[in-house]
Amino acid sequence: MTEVVTTTKEAALAARISEAMALSGVVGDGHAAQQYLGQLPYPTTRLERWKYTRVARLLDFEPQSLPETDPPGQILPGFNAHRLVFTAGKFTAGTVVDEGKDGLFIGPVSAALERYPERVGALAKSGFKSSEWFAAMQASAPQDGACILIPEGHRSDQPILIHHHMPAGARAAQPGHLIQVGHGATAEVVLWSDSPAGACGLMNGSLDASVGDAADLTLEIVQDEAGKGHHIGHHHFTQGKDSQLTVRTATARAHWLRNDLQITQGGTGANSTFHGCYLPNGEQFVDHHTRIDHAHPDGQSDELYKGLAADAATAVFNGKIMVHKDAQRIEAYQSNANLLLGERASVFTKPELEIYADDVRCSHGCTTGQFNREALFYLRSRGMTETAAHNLLVQAFLAEVLDGFRPMIRDHVHAVYAERLGWT
Amino acid sequence: MLQIDNLHARIGDTEILKGLTLSMGAGEVHAIMGPNGSGKSTLASVLAGREEYEVTAGSITFDGVDLLELDATERAVAGIFLAFQYPVEIPGVSNINFLRSALNSIREQREEEPLSGKDFLAKVKACAQLVELDGKLRDRSVNEGFSGGEKKRNEIFQMAMLEPRLAVLDETDSGLDIDALRIVSHGVNSMRSAGRSFLVITHYQRLLDHIVPDHVHVLAGGRIVHSGGKELALELEDKGYDWIVDNPATEKA
Repeated sequence: MTEVVTTTKEAALAARISEAMALSGVVGDGHAAQQYLGQLPYPTTRLERWKYTRVARLLDFEPQSLPETDPPGQILPGFNAHRLVFTAGKFTAGTVVDEGKDGLFIGPVSAALERYPERVGALAKSGFKSSEWFAAMQASAPQDGACILIPEGHRSDQPILIHHHMPAGARAAQPGHLIQVGHGATAEVVLWSDSPAGACGLMNGSLDASVGDAADLTLEIVQDEAGKGHHIGHHHFTQGKDSQLTVRTATARAHWLRNDLQITQGGTGANSTFHGCYLPNGEQFVDHHTRIDHAHPDGQSDELYKGLAADAATAVFNGKIMVHKDAQRIEAYQSNANLLLGERASVFTKPELEIYADDVRCSHGCTTGQFNREALFYLRSRGMTETAAHNLLVQAFLAEVLDGFRPMIRDHVHAVYAERLGWT
Repeated sequence: MLQIDNLHARIGDTEILKGLTLSMGAGEVHAIMGPNGSGKSTLASVLAGREEYEVTAGSITFDGVDLLELDATERAVAGIFLAFQYPVEIPGVSNINFLRSALNSIREQREEEPLSGKDFLAKVKACAQLVELDGKLRDRSVNEGFSGGEKKRNEIFQMAMLEPRLAVLDETDSGLDIDALRIVSHGVNSMRSAGRSFLVITHYQRLLDHIVPDHVHVLAGGRIVHSGGKELALELEDKGYDWIVDNPATEKA
C-alpha cells in the first residue's frame, strides 16, 4: 500500500511559512484565521484585486531558518521618539511603558498579551483575514509587533517609532502591530520598515488601529527597503465619532510591494486623510490598494496618492470609496496622479466609487501623463540642464505629498529618491 | 551680434518662416511687428531653441557661434533670454529656488563660481524692485496664480536676474494694463546697455512708445518685408499692414 498525499501549492507554502513562524515564536492565537486560510483562494491575476499583481512566484518561496542577527542600526538618529525595534517579526530593542491595566501601554504585543490578554483581545481586528489569503496567512501565524494603547484623554507628547527590520537572506516575517487611541486621546506613530541589499524574504505584516471618539491618530509609514524581497502590508483602521486619522505612506524604496489600506468610519463626523507617494524604477513593483467606508453621516475623507514609474517599473493604484446608505452629507475626495518616465514603465490606476447615499459630495480624478513639455522648455530656457529641469519637476510633483510628512522624514525620503534617481 | 540669414522653419508640415533675414548689432533694440500668423512667435521660439520647430534652411549666428548647434539650455548659457508670451505655471517649484538653480546652472556651465546666498538675495532684491515685484510673488510657485501682469513682470524680473546678451520679448505687452506696461517698460529700459540687445515682438505700437526701438521690421508671410526707423511703428499704427504686405515693391533691406 502506498499512501498518496496530495496538497496544493498554496497549502504547502502556508505550511512552510507556519513552520518558520512556529520556530521563531508565534504571538497570539491564529486558529480562527487558519480556517479562513483553508477556504480563501490564493491570489491570481484573474482576481480583480490582484489583476496587475503577480504572486505566483511566491508559491515557490522557501523561508530559510537563519541565525538571529544583531538589532539593526538606528534610523533617524536625531528623531526624539519612543522606539520599538523588531527584527524579522521579533521584538529586539526598546523599552516598555506600562501604566497599569487601564493606562498607557507601549511595548511589544507579546508583553501586552501576557499582562492584559483581555484588553488586547478586545481590540478591533481587520476584516482582511477573512477575505485575503495573505492576510489570513499573517493572522494564522502572527509574530510579535508593537502594541500601543493610549488611554482616554491621553495626549502623547512624544511620537512612537516602530521600526521593523528584515535582515539579509530569505526570511519570512509576519509582524502584527496594534494601536488603540482612546476617547479624546492623541498619538503620533511612525511605522518604518527597512532591509539591507541582501534581503530576499517575504514580509507579510499587519497593522490594526482603532481611533476612538474624538481621538486623533497620525501615522507616517515609511518603506525603505534595499533588498529584493516581497512585502505585503495590511493596514486597517476603524474610526469613532468625530475622530481624526491621518495616514501618510512614503514608499521610498521597495523591490516588490503591495500595500492594502482600509479605513472604516464607524461614527459620525469622522475625518480621514490618507496620502501616499511612490517612485519605482528599474524593475520595481509598487501597488497601493485603498478603501474607505463612509458608514455614517457627516464624515470627510481626503485621499491623495502621487507617484511615478521610471525605466521598466510598474505602479498600481486602486482606490475604492464606499458610501453607505446612511452616510449623508459626507465629503470624499480622491486623487491619484502618475508620471510615466520610461518607455517600458507601466501605471495601472483605477478609482472605484460606490455611493448609496443621496446627499454627498464625492470627487475623484486619476491622471497618468508625461512631463509637461512646456514647463521643461521654460526651465531649460532659463539655463537649467535637461536633467536638472526633469528632477526639479519630479520633486515639485511629489512635494504635495512629501511636504505633509514631518521634515526629518520628508528629507530622508527625498534623499533616498535623490540617490536612486541621481538627483543633484 | 545676431545674424539671421534666409531662415526657414516649420512646425509639423507647416512652413512658417520662409527666408527670414535680420541683422542686429550689440546694444540695439529692434522691434518686430506684423499681422497675426506672420511668424513672429515662431521666430522667438526658434531663437530660444524650442524643439517642436524644425529649421530646414538658413543660419543663425550669435556672437560668431552657430546658434542652431546649441540646445535650449546652451542658448541660455550663451546669453539668450526669451520672455514668454504665455509664461508657464509650475506648481511646487518656488520662484526663488528655481531662479537660484537656473542662475547657478548658467554660472557652472560658464565655469564661474556659484553666487553666494548673500549676493543672490541682494540681486533678487534689486531686480524685484526694478519691476515692483512683491516679495510674496518671489516666494510663490513659479507663476502659479499670478495675474497676467504679474507673470509678465516675473519674466522681466528673471531677465534682470539672468542679465542676457540678447533678450527676446515675445508679445510682452499682451494682457498688460497701462500701469503694468509702464513698469515692464521701465524694467527693460533700465537694462538697456551697450552690450545688450533686445528683440521686441509686438502687435501694437503702444509698447514702442515706452521702449523706443532703433529699428522696426515688418514680418509677413515668414519674411521681413519692410524695415525702418522708430517712426515706422507709428506709420503702421496709422495705416495697418496692407500697404506693405500687398505691395512687395515697397520692400527694402
